[in-house]
Amino acid sequence: MSDRIETVKKLFTSKSSRVETNKGDTYYQELFEKCEARLNEMRSLTPANKLDFTDLLEENGIDRREFMKWASATTAMLMLPPMFTPLVADAAVMMNRAPVVWLELQDCAGNSEALLRADGPKIDEIVLDIISLEYHETLQAASGHQAEKQLDEAMEHFKGKYLLFVEGSIPMGMDGQYGTIGAKGETFHDHLVRCAENAAAVVAVGACATFGGIPAAAPNPTGAVGVMDVIKNKPLINIPACPANPANMVGVILHYVLTGQVPELDSLLRPKFAFGYRIHDNCERRAHFDAGEYVEEWGDVGAQNNFCLYKMGCKGPMTFNNCSIVRYNEAVNWPIGVGRGCIGCSEPDFWDKYAYERPMADAKIKAPTGGVEKTVDEFGLGMLTAAGIGIAIHAAASTVAGKRENSGESHE
Amino acid sequence: MKQGYKQVKRMTPAMRIIHWVNAICMVGAVITGLYIGHPYYQSFIADGAVDKYVMAWNRYGHFIIAILFDVTSVIIAYLYFFSRFEKPYKKVIPNGKNIAEFKAVVVNLLTLNRKKEFDSSHADSFNTVYFTIFHLLLAWMLLTGLQMYVHGLESGMSSIGTWWPWMLHLVTDWTIPVCGGTLMDVRIAHHMTMWFILCWVVFHIYYQVWRTIFWKEADIAIVIGGSKFVKDDSAN
Repeated sequence: MSDRIETVKKLFTSKSSRVETNKGDTYYQELFEKCEARLNEMRSLTPANKLDFTDLLEENGIDRREFMKWASATTAMLMLPPMFTPLVADAAVMMNRAPVVWLELQDCAGNSEALLRADGPKIDEIVLDIISLEYHETLQAASGHQAEKQLDEAMEHFKGKYLLFVEGSIPMGMDGQYGTIGAKGETFHDHLVRCAENAAAVVAVGACATFGGIPAAAPNPTGAVGVMDVIKNKPLINIPACPANPANMVGVILHYVLTGQVPELDSLLRPKFAFGYRIHDNCERRAHFDAGEYVEEWGDVGAQNNFCLYKMGCKGPMTFNNCSIVRYNEAVNWPIGVGRGCIGCSEPDFWDKYAYERPMADAKIKAPTGGVEKTVDEFGLGMLTAAGIGIAIHAAASTVAGKRENSGESHE
Repeated sequence: MKQGYKQVKRMTPAMRIIHWVNAICMVGAVITGLYIGHPYYQSFIADGAVDKYVMAWNRYGHFIIAILFDVTSVIIAYLYFFSRFEKPYKKVIPNGKNIAEFKAVVVNLLTLNRKKEFDSSHADSFNTVYFTIFHLLLAWMLLTGLQMYVHGLESGMSSIGTWWPWMLHLVTDWTIPVCGGTLMDVRIAHHMTMWFILCWVVFHIYYQVWRTIFWKEADIAIVIGGSKFVKDDSAN
């Protein structure tokens, strides 16, 4: 009940999803000076690790020109004017001064995979390589008590400064006993709360950490929830999608390094620079949507001609994400590009409400009681049929037994 | 006019025009809306995409209809309270008189017109409540529809200025949590409401025809000629 009251309160206070792409010269001038000052301050700090970004770029055969191209593209992605490009480049070099603690909760490690399994590390991955990853449950060599010690030390040493990245949902059922970690058997919930306490900000990465994702799909046996339902008193950024795009993770860390603040967020706490736009409006197949040219079944003429995937259940029209612009794996390709529809992985409840690979009208919906599943049209037609039967009965009864008013004409 | 009957004016020309605009819009909205929800006919594959534009035209038609509905809804909402002819809000207030009349009309329908203990010359409480339900369903369609529409204006700009998307967000963002928390829930709610409205229409048409046949007061003429005919007691 209190949840509902909270929701109603939120109705009229929530921020709109409007994206302001131009905030005026004075705003950007002020921001520029602030960022410059912050970068100078960062420069004086000793890097937390010995990795040098410029060396790493060279080792991977990426020249200065390519790096600057990346920097200007990233500046544009963050919705900053071109004059910020040198600052973004500077910030990337200083990423090894940003301490990060990475938690792995109830999930498939897909987001870690996303930033590790690039065919050849590109600039986004290299930037993620040099961040000062103080603790990462999946990647670190240490284990057991040793790992816990490392975490405690990192949290103590970078108190109030580290970014806490969380991957995976939090099982709340059975007192959180569905997921425990470490030698002491700490539940995921307690682990997260402890690590978040001294973090500068919490970044929930991937569909599970943001909105519960697949673990939270019906019937949600573990009572999984997202980080935003557990951590209330910290700046929180959601980077949903399955997996989250490394470009957006870099964007958020860069923004933090550059400005010391979290980027502008929408009502679901997603950075607007990445989730302010709808996939549909930047889709390469949009012209086919408007023309009414759809793939009717896999492998048909339409599919061979890259027609729109709307009838195959593409959810681009209701999904906000930038993957139709930045794509995945350094712009190699993305789901719709490979000929299958969007499943709305950056939206809440995506597994139940988006990912059924059918148009919405054919999707099975649950009755409010959680019972029988029918499509909207089956339910609607059923309702209409019931109304028709009712009317037919009434009409028949009226004909047989109804009383017609005397209309003034003579009757036999 | 038939002997012993008097003519009662029930709908002004404006009301009748609005009724038929709504009725035609409804048919158009259902035809285009079903296509948008699940394109049920195919474009000719051989034509160039630019000649087809089938989904775009369907959406265009759907939105133009939505604008007509917007206009008629505003007028109807105004007339509910300020009409110089009849103020329908007076029949919706749940006071003793209205509740009694509402019950009497339901009894009349269920007893197949064997019992008719209310004055059928003027607009009755049952029908007015039933019409109000329709207007509320329509308002809900407008709000959920505009919510889906504003998703395409994410830049915050539109051809008529920034106030338009700003206003749409302000007025319709609340439908998301009310429908269930996701944009998809808004779509499902919009689609489901269409079926509620269709059921509403089916009963509405049946009931007006039924009244005409059993009351013998030419109720069906109200929406065309604007008046019906009731027995003139003073003449007897």
